[in-house]
Amino acid sequence: MAAIETAQRPVVRKPIDWWRWAGRVFLTFLMLFTVLPMAWMILTSVKSQFAAMQYPPQWWPSEPTLNNYFKLLDPTNRIGREFLRYFWNSFYVSLLTTILGVVVAVPAAYAFSRFRFPGRTFLFFSVLVRNMFPAVVFLMPLFLLMRWMGLVNTHGSLILTYLTFGLPLSIWLLKGFYDNIPIQLEQAARIDGATRFQAFILIVMPLSSPGIIATSIFSFIGAWNEYVYAYTFLSRDDQMTLPVGIQRFFTEFATDWPGLMSATFLMSVPVVVLFLVLQKYFVRALTEGAVKH
Amino acid sequence: MAEVVLKDVMKNYGSLYAVNNVSFAVEHGEFVALVGPSGCGKTTTLNLIAGLIPMSGGDIVIGDRVVNDLDPKDRDIAMVFQNYALYPNKSVFKNLAFPLQMRKLPKAEIEAKVMAAAKVLDISHLLERRPRELSGGQQQRVALGRALVRDPAAFLMDEPLSNLDAKLRVAMRSELKRFHHNLNATVIYVTHDQLEAVTMADKMAVMHGGVLQQYDTPANVFGNPVNTFVASFVGSPAMSLIPLDVVSKGTEVALRSPEEGWELPLSPMNARKASASSNGKLVLGARHSTLKLHKSAAAGAAPGKVYTVEPTGDVTFAQIFVNGAVVNISLDPTVAIEPDEAVWIEFDQDRMHLFDGETTMALKAA
Ligand SMILES: Nc1ncnc2c1ncn2[C@@H]1O[C@H](COP(=O)(O)OP(=O)(O)O)[C@@H](O)[C@H]1O
Ligand SMILES: [Mg+2]
Repeated sequence: MAAIETAQRPVVRKPIDWWRWAGRVFLTFLMLFTVLPMAWMILTSVKSQFAAMQYPPQWWPSEPTLNNYFKLLDPTNRIGREFLRYFWNSFYVSLLTTILGVVVAVPAAYAFSRFRFPGRTFLFFSVLVRNMFPAVVFLMPLFLLMRWMGLVNTHGSLILTYLTFGLPLSIWLLKGFYDNIPIQLEQAARIDGATRFQAFILIVMPLSSPGIIATSIFSFIGAWNEYVYAYTFLSRDDQMTLPVGIQRFFTEFATDWPGLMSATFLMSVPVVVLFLVLQKYFVRALTEGAVKH
Repeated sequence: MAEVVLKDVMKNYGSLYAVNNVSFAVEHGEFVALVGPSGCGKTTTLNLIAGLIPMSGGDIVIGDRVVNDLDPKDRDIAMVFQNYALYPNKSVFKNLAFPLQMRKLPKAEIEAKVMAAAKVLDISHLLERRPRELSGGQQQRVALGRALVRDPAAFLMDEPLSNLDAKLRVAMRSELKRFHHNLNATVIYVTHDQLEAVTMADKMAVMHGGVLQQYDTPANVFGNPVNTFVASFVGSPAMSLIPLDVVSKGTEVALRSPEEGWELPLSPMNARKASASSNGKLVLGARHSTLKLHKSAAAGAAPGKVYTVEPTGDVTFAQIFVNGAVVNISLDPTVAIEPDEAVWIEFDQDRMHLFDGETTMALKAA
């Protein structure tokens, strides 16, 4: 008779995955680093000017107030009027930059992906040269160029500048998308009765919409947050975009911290909303478009 | 009336002639297989017929129109692609409806036609699914359905079965043949698989290096290959090709092995063909089933050495070295031979093929 084995099962200790833990710790720090200033910004924005200046600081506002927000969003007073004007300027410049960016990047990327033409490689890489230099390097040359074209003190100068900065990435990203769409899909559509253009609009465009959305977010945020060029190219008060406007506006005499913070918070709202709504596409764009299947 | 005619069709990419002077005519209702090894220009030819790429030269006629400058959409053709090319963001129903929508048919008619095609193809239960939710075989059917919903002048198919597993491929092969029969449709079918071509097609166009080698019925291509390429490409196992010298002794003509010295006397008919050789050399071609194996020297037999023996059940295939060339032969399974055994191969004078040693073209009696 076989002896019943009562072998003790060895206690299997799951080895601690140090990499995973290191990653968690790192992410926690990274989150604190980004979230704390945001939290402080929001907390300060609901304090009164007096409470904001107290020392030691009030960690939690004793008398929270939304007055700063009402003031900013009320077009009947001077502050509200100007803030809303800056907000509109920023929105208008960013939106136009985004739309024009898509209008240029989509056909450009498609052409780079589908057509073989002389100078194709050279052109494609020269598009990227802009990204090899920090943006400020182009500040003076572009300023001179804009002055020569008579565009200084117009929103056109900003839109043109933001376009040149945003396009390389947009084209590069979108080309990856078009490379991954089999040419047979367009061919099938053309045989099924579509013109070349219809095949592009009806079949290819919908398939590349995650890429188009991602590049749109990139150019919108880039334009929305830009400071140095707006500061240099614009001097008239009624043309200012938000980053420059806010900074000038609230530091005119003494810094109105709660006012500044609530304006900054309002400025970040469109970007955050954009991201939350479209992040699904954004992630897909960055993972799908980049990798060859 | 011929439905599709190609005349001196050319396509070059720089100095590479992907399609070189190809001419053939497909009759109405004919199933033509365009066959050849990978890279020989089959897809390019099909794309030229479809109008998906511009021609470098020549003419293409579909129906009664020269279509050289027409867009694909105006050529009245349907196409099935190797990778199916189903629209990934559309449901099966919308995939099938797309060609009809583009032709602005009324909604009710579109629905009726899609339903009818889906029924024929047995995909009615899949209409709401997306292509990626289908198996390979189902995708294949949808691709076929998208071609069938219309009533085109010709169907073009680019290796439609090559992505299916072997069993499904054989099943779809018979089904496709049945479709062709029922619809009486004109089909140009691209494949690299000569067996598919031989079994399905009314006529086959064998291509090699962008050049059309032979355009004929499968029986004729099999029975009278025009050159050594066609001879070795069509048929499995491949036709054996042995390079030999032609020697004449008075009225007698024989073939001599340049290396081993043995001679093979030719029948009068074959002698006349051999005499037409341009440089005194030729290639002897023989299919496995026409050869006879002897265990000892025999008249009209060439000496060889067994290389491999492959029993398959009802027939045994053997490879035998004759004059340095591999000869395929089929044997009765009861024949016992061993690798490295010396054997003699007898050729059937009536069913052997003789090709010119220089041009590789089939020799004709002068
Ligand atoms: N767009 C192209 N540019 C350059 N060469 C090509 C192009 N398309 C096909 N070719 C070449 O033409 C030849 C025929 O290709 P193809 O028609 O696809 O062959 P098949 O379908 O018979 O395998 C190949 O040598 C291929 O490399
Ligand atoms: Mg091919």
